[in-house]
Amino acid sequence: MQWVETEEMVRFNEVDEWGMAWYGHYMAWFEVGRISLLRQFDLLPRQMVDLGYIAPVISLKCDFKNPAGSGDRIIIRTTVVKPEIAALTFKFEILLKENRTLLARGETTQVLLTTNRKMIYRLSGELEKRVSNLVDYCLQD
Amino acid sequence: MEEIVNNSTALREFLKKMIIDTLKLENVTIEEIDNKAPLFRKGLGLDSIDALELVVAIEKIFNIIIEDEEVGKRAFASINALSKFIQKKYKRGK
Repeated sequence: MQWVETEEMVRFNEVDEWGMAWYGHYMAWFEVGRISLLRQFDLLPRQMVDLGYIAPVISLKCDFKNPAGSGDRIIIRTTVVKPEIAALTFKFEILLKENRTLLARGETTQVLLTTNRKMIYRLSGELEKRVSNLVDYCLQD
Repeated sequence: MEEIVNNSTALREFLKKMIIDTLKLENVTIEEIDNKAPLFRKGLGLDSIDALELVVAIEKIFNIIIEDEEVGKRAFASINALSKFIQKKYKRGK
């Protein structure tokens, strides 16, 4: 399985009263990871819209393993799960850069709708091509 | 499969079992699914992800493709509707 890695830094305004990165920010980091993966396959949200589709998130999971602090450099790792249905599921790991300690592990699922909000049950055409390139890349050894 | 498709009663039973098995509905029995009740929201209470899973099962079992929500809405209106939809498409595929 291939993971795309992106680096971020925990900002001062992202920590809570206990000096730990606030849990909600992890979702924004997942988004950073997802975008850097999707960019490589021409599947950025605006490119999806150009093709006539949107992909709202319908499920989100996150397990927090260790805290991050202000100024910490973090690595966001992102990959995609082999789709059995017409939906996209991404997996994420957030690591501390200096020693690769696992900070959090998460997963999101998106369904595919046409831009006029009609859900699609199977992928076709250019969308199918780009998604299968993405999946093939992530599933290789 | 053709035998089941041609027998409406058998097909309805088959579809109920397929729904229970595909979606791993633990608290639902074949007898509890009303032929006329909607499968989504009210009625059996299925959601959009359930629809995606059923579409894959139907494609595998009957080789019938349901492209999107528009077709799905009609096909998944009830067990009766789904059974008729499959009978129609299955014959056309022959």
